Amino acid sequence: MTADVIVLGAGSAGLAAAVTAAREGARVILLERHGFAGGMGTASLVHTFCGLYRLGGDEPVLANPGFPTEMAARMLTATGAPGPVKMGRVWVLMQHPVEFVRMSDELLKESGVGVLFHAEALAVEREPDGWRVRVACRGGMTTVTGKVLVDTSGDAVLAGMIGGAAELTEAAHLQRPAYVFGIQGATAGESGLPLAGRIVDGVRRGVLPKESLGLHFRASGRPAELFGTIDLSGTEEGDYDPLDAACLTRLECTGRATAAATVDFLKREASGWEGAYISQWPVRAGVRESRRWKGRHILTGQEVLGGIRHPDDIALATWPLEFRETNRGPKLRYPEGDRAAGIPLGCLIPEGLERVFTAGRCLSCDHEAQASIRVMGTCFATGQAAGIAAVLAAKGEDPKSAVALLRNKFG
Amino acid sequence: MPTAEEVVAMLCEEGIVDLPAGFPANGDLFAEGMDSMAVMQLIVVAEERFGAIIGPEDTGRENLATPADLARLISMKSGGAA
Repeated sequence: MTADVIVLGAGSAGLAAAVTAAREGARVILLERHGFAGGMGTASLVHTFCGLYRLGGDEPVLANPGFPTEMAARMLTATGAPGPVKMGRVWVLMQHPVEFVRMSDELLKESGVGVLFHAEALAVEREPDGWRVRVACRGGMTTVTGKVLVDTSGDAVLAGMIGGAAELTEAAHLQRPAYVFGIQGATAGESGLPLAGRIVDGVRRGVLPKESLGLHFRASGRPAELFGTIDLSGTEEGDYDPLDAACLTRLECTGRATAAATVDFLKREASGWEGAYISQWPVRAGVRESRRWKGRHILTGQEVLGGIRHPDDIALATWPLEFRETNRGPKLRYPEGDRAAGIPLGCLIPEGLERVFTAGRCLSCDHEAQASIRVMGTCFATGQAAGIAAVLAAKGEDPKSAVALLRNKFG
Repeated sequence: MPTAEEVVAMLCEEGIVDLPAGFPANGDLFAEGMDSMAVMQLIVVAEERFGAIIGPEDTGRENLATPADLARLISMKSGGAA
């Protein structure tokens, strides 16, 4: 298989990059390890689109035109929700992972992206006119070639394969992972603060594991369906390493065991929970932070907090720095005057490499800025820009034109 | 037993909710971003610091909404010292 652009990973950023590049007329191959696109928003059941809207304000204002704005509209149509909701100072759009999967299929089909599900890039070699990617499928390998690569893997997997400049925050400060699962049958069950009190009581009495303290529930928007979210410490045994299968295995097992123990406890003790059951496990625990590329520009937390703009911005970062360095709830840091910072094109261009772009949570930034730019709404925007830049590079044009092209196209 | 000021200090020191300097005893903690997850942490910390056993029946909004409410609840729930 041969393409102009090969996109590694079909999460929010990869979906945006692939669809945008295909709409520009490029031949696109999108490689995805799961059986559907959407990444954190589907496989990990993260059910809010954050970063789609400007901070503050009495009315929600979409922050980035083009693909992110289209996704907001499509999701509102799919869920039938009246609009985004304000939580404290931020606007979020409740999204349903099942709808996200379906929307992604439609977007990929409409735009003509060549998708390979159940496919993971394992090795990458340079070719005279681009790249040769060895792809693992079920018990075997296949090869795809393309002119330009876009790494939207979330883990900067390409940096690992070709020795690109990248970094990983030390284990103690990595943002902790979230484990999200679906629940049904808790009709008009105890919720909110009394439920929180009951869970602490269960931990105090030793009938619940201490990990249950990080658990909270939110209505999914569908009748009698909830999502439970556990913030895991990631250090259940040993250091947290989002690139290590043994560590990820412990996360999955801890998440499931905590969810199961807590729901069993609530069935016994909480009113309205008698008939509750876990209706959906995530395909994988939700990793918030992993390896990041080092690019021509490394966006810093100070730039985000200062609402700094650059001449070559390709997207706005409108989510506060949301630190999850412990599993005791988020710590939010807001930019001055709620001013949105710009993410420059240089954050999408790995240092010292040609015909390679990145977007999403593994773009070039420091640990603090990553706490803002990792959210799905922002990933749609950086993915869209990477798609445009990749098409230019595949045509032999200067990817710097992506800045002007994005403005002309989407405003 | 804690005063409202001591409750504010505890909330900030333990990172339960970020409060501006001079947060009033009757200020609304939920408006400052305290949610059910923060309340779980609060219950654990109140037990560690003051020996207050806050149960599921105590975790209504009326007991938790302000530093003054919390000071009263913690006093009441910390065994005999109230």
